[in-house]
Amino acid sequence: MEKMSLEQLKALKEQSDMEVNLLQDSLNNIRTATVRLEMASNALHDLSLRPQGKKMLVPLTASLYVPGTLDDADKVLVDVGTGYFIEKTMPEGKDYCERKINLLKSNYDQLIEVASKKKSIADEAGVMLQTKLRQVAPTT
Amino acid sequence: MASSSAVSERRGIPGASFVEDVQIYLTQSGLDANSALSFLQERLQQYKLVEMRLLAQQRDLQAKIPDIEKCLDIVATLQVKKGTGEALIADFEVSEGIYSRACIEDTDSVCLWLGANVMLEYSCEEAVALLQKNLENARASLEVLVGDLQFVRDQVTVTQVTIARVYNWDVHQRRSRQAASTTPKES
Repeated sequence: MEKMSLEQLKALKEQSDMEVNLLQDSLNNIRTATVRLEMASNALHDLSLRPQGKKMLVPLTASLYVPGTLDDADKVLVDVGTGYFIEKTMPEGKDYCERKINLLKSNYDQLIEVASKKKSIADEAGVMLQTKLRQVAPTT
Repeated sequence: MASSSAVSERRGIPGASFVEDVQIYLTQSGLDANSALSFLQERLQQYKLVEMRLLAQQRDLQAKIPDIEKCLDIVATLQVKKGTGEALIADFEVSEGIYSRACIEDTDSVCLWLGANVMLEYSCEEAVALLQKNLENARASLEVLVGDLQFVRDQVTVTQVTIARVYNWDVHQRRSRQAASTTPKES
């Protein structure tokens, strides 16, 4: 990196900064998705404890609830994306959530590695830029 | 030529009056060009803030209205089903991405979430009446909001035009003063 000129160093630093920001955004998205999945998993676990026929308030929209009873608690519908829903039994549903959470966690770990590498490149480029600027400044 | 003014204000938003003659405007307000410019700039910032606030409110309302309409549809369906006396099987959201099945028997009452940790039970007719009222209020507020936004946008335009004219007038004044001060020396 020492052999690069000032403009090249600046361009490299800017590019690295942009990449670091992108990776940070992806990391945040994965984190939120993981939190939501964990909440879903907890809810599923809670649901499995409820007996069939239990009286409950059924949410029909976000603000409308109707008194009713829990039907077959062993069957759940999971949203697998792009508008598809799959009916699974309770243990299968829990397993699906677990697998998805694990997948997201491994993606998250991989991304963290890549992000920290990019960040160190960006920091190095920044330091190089500073030293070069200081070298150039006293001579002008 | 006096400066004509449009609506002086609307629901707490000050109106910007169109300036016919910059000279008269400045002498009437007793400001010099620079302070007039900074006053107008400040006004412009206030208008921008108000516009952002109104846009946010408009977004909220536009999200609420379809929700209320959905609730109305569902209550109507429930009422229709009530006559037949058969139970309704519904899939409901347990959490994001997880849905489970429930059996809704013949029931007269529904519970509406009113916000702020308050949920009330209503009979079907009362629920329909309440939802209708909410829907009408939301729609009326949205209309008023749209009117407010248009008003603010007009005032922003008027203020920007005034700023440009005051600035041009000031430049013109400086030039004529410079010309007046240099010509006596030449002649």
